[in-house]
Amino acid sequence: MGFLIELYKTLSDAIYFNLIKDDRYLLFIKGLGVSLKLTLYAAILGIIIGLLVAFARMTKNKVLNKIASLYIDIIRGTPAVVQLVIIYYAILGSSSLPKIGVASVAFGINSGAYVAELIRAGIQAVDKGQMEAARSLGFSYGQSMRYIIIPQAIKNILPALVSEFIVLLKETAIAGYIALDDLTRMGDIVRSRTFDAYTPFIVVALMYLYVTSILTYFLGKLERRMSISD
Amino acid sequence: MIKVVNLHKSFGDLEVLKGIDSEIKKGEVVCVIGASGSGKSTFLRCLNLLEEPTKGDIYIDGVPLMELGKNINSLRQRVGMVFQQFNLFPHMTVMENVTLAPIKLKRMLPEEAEKKATVLLRKVGLPDKDNAYPNQLSGGQKQRVAIARALAMDPEIMLFDEPTSALDPEMVGEVLQVMKQLALEGMTMVVVTHEMGFAREVGDRILFMDGGVIAEEGTPEEIFDNSKHERTRAFLSKVI
Ligand SMILES: Nc1ncnc2c1ncn2[C@@H]1O[C@H](COP(=O)(O)OP(=O)(O)OP(=O)(O)O)[C@@H](O)[C@H]1O
Ligand SMILES: [Mg+2]
Repeated sequence: MGFLIELYKTLSDAIYFNLIKDDRYLLFIKGLGVSLKLTLYAAILGIIIGLLVAFARMTKNKVLNKIASLYIDIIRGTPAVVQLVIIYYAILGSSSLPKIGVASVAFGINSGAYVAELIRAGIQAVDKGQMEAARSLGFSYGQSMRYIIIPQAIKNILPALVSEFIVLLKETAIAGYIALDDLTRMGDIVRSRTFDAYTPFIVVALMYLYVTSILTYFLGKLERRMSISD
Repeated sequence: MIKVVNLHKSFGDLEVLKGIDSEIKKGEVVCVIGASGSGKSTFLRCLNLLEEPTKGDIYIDGVPLMELGKNINSLRQRVGMVFQQFNLFPHMTVMENVTLAPIKLKRMLPEEAEKKATVLLRKVGLPDKDNAYPNQLSGGQKQRVAIARALAMDPEIMLFDEPTSALDPEMVGEVLQVMKQLALEGMTMVVVTHEMGFAREVGDRILFMDGGVIAEEGTPEEIFDNSKHERTRAFLSKVI
């Protein structure tokens, strides 16, 4: 009995100090908003860069090819934190972009490399016979891509893209390195005020989990939709 | 209609075609037979430049293929091809498979293309599958749709690369029947096949390929009953 009362007191204290006092829950919500915004901007930029780079990798132009694969190698071969900090100082030195803008650019550049590979893999996974059948009917290479290959590749790419953005959301947790007030950093801020190391980060973890669960749910739906007509 | 002169094709160091000379006349049905790896598919694929010859010339109605450049696409519209693995477009219905090329490449109106496709699908014995997707069809049905798809471009010649090799035995007949019908209507056809019965019955001429060359050619009687070459007889004794 005494144990239960003790537990109740600990929990309610934890909730009071970490969430209710000084409206601290608002900090978490604000942080989540920043993380989501950052993920969204980075995802959009990542798709644009990814498309361009995937295209560059698949053309016959050797120079474009080299540049594209160099970019992919660099991004995939270095830690995202390091990329973020380098880009932060590189851009900050020359512009008045707000921090979230800088972070969006950094994560967009990072995500672009992964998206490019995923687009390329999605296109290459389309059976070779499809291109041959299209060409044999008289379609040009471009027409074959447009009418035959890309529509099939999209079915491979879309689910992988959603997975990539789930990863991206979690990856943005390092935005605190450039002092951007994202969800993870808010956990840190609350911890420094309450001296409670546990609770803020459990709250943070639950909030990430909530969003990724929703995305995963849609991913499952999407995967089922995409496999219907195969 | 098609003239092949000293055709060579190598993949890297591997020389697959070592000088092929042949002529295919309008309305003729030419069957290509030979052991696996002898270069039958490669030869066929050179005829519409799915493979680029390393050396030699191919003329279609007197026009040399290698000099076509960008016009290769309009040439391919005149040469239909049917593949062993069907290669239907899985994201499109049967009707869309058959009408896509005429609509996009010949600027045919959709209603017109559909009317034509309906006729063709009836002809290949699939009058009621317009809205089915390829994965809902049997192998034999897929191949017949693939034939209709190629015919929709009104090709002057049809190339078949082992069209029945991927089929369950009970479906081979229905596809061969469609091809036979096509031959009777006067279509010019080049057929790579292991179906010796079909080659004998429908073929006007048989090409026996061996080691990248045409080792022997002649009428079905000449090849199947009175072959002059040891290699041909050895091959035939194995497959019949
Ligand atoms: N794209 C390619 N790259 C490299 N080698 C190839 C390629 N296509 C074919 N070959 C080789 O060329 C040779 C002839 O192949 P081809 O497909 O023309 O033979 P085939 O007579 O059609 O045989 P099959 O009866 O098995 O279909 C084979 O040794 C094959 O491995
Ligand atoms: Mg072959």
